[in-house]
Amino acid sequence: MPVGQLIIEGLAMGACYGLFGLAVVIIYKTSEVVNFAAGEMAMFSTFIAFHVLTFYQCPFWLAFLIALVFAALLGVFIEFFFIRPAKNPTLLGLIVITLGAELLLMGLASWKWGAEQQAFSLPVSYKVTYEPIKGFIISEWAIAVFIIAAIIMTFLYLFFKYTKLGTAMRATQQNKHAAKIMGIQTDHVFVFAWAFSSVIGLIAALLLSAKAILDPQFMMEPFLRAFAAAVLGGLMSIPGVLIGGAILGLLENFLGYAWPVWKPITAFVVIVLVLCIRPSGIFAKHYVKKV
Amino acid sequence: MDLKKVLMVMLVSVFAVFLFAYQGQAATERGFDDKEIRVGQWGPQTGPAAPWGSVARGSKLVFDIVNEEGGIAGRKIKYFIRDDQYNPSQTVAGVRELVERHGIFAFVGGVGTAPCQSVMGYLLENKIIWISPCSGASAFYKPFNPYLWNMWPTYENDASIIAKFAIEKKKFKKIAMFYQNDDYGLNALDSVKYRLSKNKMELVAAIPVEPTERDLSSQVQKLKASGAEAVIGFVSPTQAAIALRTAASVGFKTQWMHSYNLSDYALMNKITDGLWAKEGVITGAFTQEPYADNAPTKKYIEAMKRLAPTERWGIFYMAGVVVAEPLVYALKKVGKNLSTEAVKNELNKITDFQGVGPKVTWRADYHMSGKELQIWQCDPKGEIIVLQQWTKNEISRD
Repeated sequence: MPVGQLIIEGLAMGACYGLFGLAVVIIYKTSEVVNFAAGEMAMFSTFIAFHVLTFYQCPFWLAFLIALVFAALLGVFIEFFFIRPAKNPTLLGLIVITLGAELLLMGLASWKWGAEQQAFSLPVSYKVTYEPIKGFIISEWAIAVFIIAAIIMTFLYLFFKYTKLGTAMRATQQNKHAAKIMGIQTDHVFVFAWAFSSVIGLIAALLLSAKAILDPQFMMEPFLRAFAAAVLGGLMSIPGVLIGGAILGLLENFLGYAWPVWKPITAFVVIVLVLCIRPSGIFAKHYVKKV
Repeated sequence: MDLKKVLMVMLVSVFAVFLFAYQGQAATERGFDDKEIRVGQWGPQTGPAAPWGSVARGSKLVFDIVNEEGGIAGRKIKYFIRDDQYNPSQTVAGVRELVERHGIFAFVGGVGTAPCQSVMGYLLENKIIWISPCSGASAFYKPFNPYLWNMWPTYENDASIIAKFAIEKKKFKKIAMFYQNDDYGLNALDSVKYRLSKNKMELVAAIPVEPTERDLSSQVQKLKASGAEAVIGFVSPTQAAIALRTAASVGFKTQWMHSYNLSDYALMNKITDGLWAKEGVITGAFTQEPYADNAPTKKYIEAMKRLAPTERWGIFYMAGVVVAEPLVYALKKVGKNLSTEAVKNELNKITDFQGVGPKVTWRADYHMSGKELQIWQCDPKGEIIVLQQWTKNEISRD
C-alpha cells in the first residue's frame, strides 16, 4: 500500500472538503441554517471566473478578483432576496429556500454555459510534481491547497476570536434577540456571513475544479463530502471542520484503496456514526440556553 | 321518450362511433398521414449527461436534410425531441406523452442504458419501431425484440476488441481494468476477463467506480500499485478525464485504453487539459472518422454548417446520424404505401448497410448491431490515428 501517497492525496482532498465545509459552517454559525445552495453558489462563481478567463482572455488574477467580488455579491443577493423575505421562517422552511436557490443556480448555469464539461486551470498545476522523499509525490496543486487552507483557517480563527464583526457573528448565532438588544445589526451580520461564505466556497470550488472537471453538477459530490466534514468536526468549530475534512479525506483514500467499491458511501457512514455517537460533532462546544 | 332523451341517445351513439372509429384509425395509421411522418427521440439536453444530448440533435440533421429534399413520397418528417435529463422517470413521461398525445411512428436513438430500459416494454407493447438504443448493454438484444433494431455495438464486443489489441498488437502483459459499477462497466469487465482467459492471462487489477464519484485518487493509486502497463477503462467522459488528471498528479504512466463512448477526442482533449493527446489515449470506435474522405460524411458536414451552424461535428452528434440513417433508408424503400409492417419488413432485409456508422445486417429474427469496431489513438495534435481498421470480435458470445 503506497501509504505516503495516500496520505498526501487524502489530506489534499480533505483540505478542499474542509475549506468548503467552512463555507457551510460560517452561515450555520450565524443563523443555524444549513445552506444547501452552497455548492451551486460556488459552482456559479467558478463559472464566472471561467467565463472571464475564456471569453475575455483576462489574466488569472483579474478573473479571480472578479469572481471573488461576484461571489460576495451572490451571497448578498441570496440572503437579501431569498432568505430575508421569508416571514417567521422555520428552520425547515429556510432549508427548502436554499434548495430552491440551488436548483435555480444549477438551471441558470446549464442555460448559460451548457452542460458540456469544461476544463478549468489554475496557475498551480496538478501536472507539475515533486518527490521530496521517495514514494511521496506531491503536485503544485496539492501544495497550493495546503497553503491556502492554512491561511484561510488562520484568518478565520483570528477573525472570529478577535474582531468585532466576528464576535458579533458569534453573538448573533448564540442569541439573535440578545445580540439585537446589545446593538448588533443582525441583518448586516447575516448579509456579511452569506457573502463571506460564498467567497470561501468559491476558493474551495476553484481548487476542486482544477483537479476535476467544471460542469453545473461538479460541486454536488464535494458538497456532500464538505457537509460530512462539517458534521464530523462540529458545525460550530472552524478548526474542527478542517480537521474533519482531513479525517474524511484520509478515510476515503485508505478505505477506497482497500475496498474501492465501498468508497462512495464512506462519507455517509461517517455522518451516521458521528450523529449517533456525538450529535454535535467531535469539536463542537455545547451552549446551554435557559428557557 | 322526450326530445331531450332522444338527443342524448343520439349524442352518445355518435360519440361512441366517433371514439371507436378514431381508435381503429389510430391503430392502423398511428404516426403518419399524407403530409407527415412523426418520429421521436429522447435524450439529456440538460443535466449531468447533457454532452450526450447531441445524439438527438444529430438525428435531427438527417431528418432536416430529408425535408429539405422534399420529404419521402410527399411526406415530411416531423421530429420531436424530449429532454429526459438522463432520468428514467422523465424518459417514461416524455415517451408516453409523445406516443399518446402526438402519435409517433418510430423512435430513433435514446441515450443511456437505464433510460432506454425504462421505456423498452412500453414501446414493444405499442409495437413502435425503435432504431436503436444508444447503449451496448445486453438487455437490448436478449431476449429478442421484433420492434427494436440495434446499431450500437455491444460493450462486450468493444471491450473484447480493445483487449485483443492490447494483448496481440501492443504485447502488454499487465492489464488492469477501470470500470463503472453498472451494466456498462460490468459487461465490459466480463468480456475482458474472457478475452484474457483465452490468452491464459488475468487482470492485474479491476477497480470499480461509481458514476457520481469525483475524487479518484485511491482508485488511481491502486491502478498504479498494480504495475499495469495498460488500463482498459469503461467509465464516463468525466471520470476518464479526472482519472487521467489524477494519474498525472501522482506520476502514474500507463497506456489508457477506453470504450468507444470516449472517442470524441475534441471533447476529451478539452476536458483533460490536453492530456488525452499527450498520453496518446487509445479507444474503440464505432463510427467512421469524423472527417473521413467520403461522400456521406462531406454531405452531412456541409448540411450541418447550413442547417445547424451552432452544432459541433463530434462523435455523439454523428451517433445521432448513425441511428437515423436506417430509418430513412427503410422509409424511402417503402415509399407511398407506408405502414409499420412495411417499414419493419424493409429493416429486416437490410444487408451490409453502412452510412457513417458501423456496418449492419438485420433479419426478421436477428436485430443485432455489427460486431466490428475500429481502434483509434489520439495523436499529440489531438487528431485521430486509425491504429486498426474494422475488426470483428471473433470470440463474441452474442
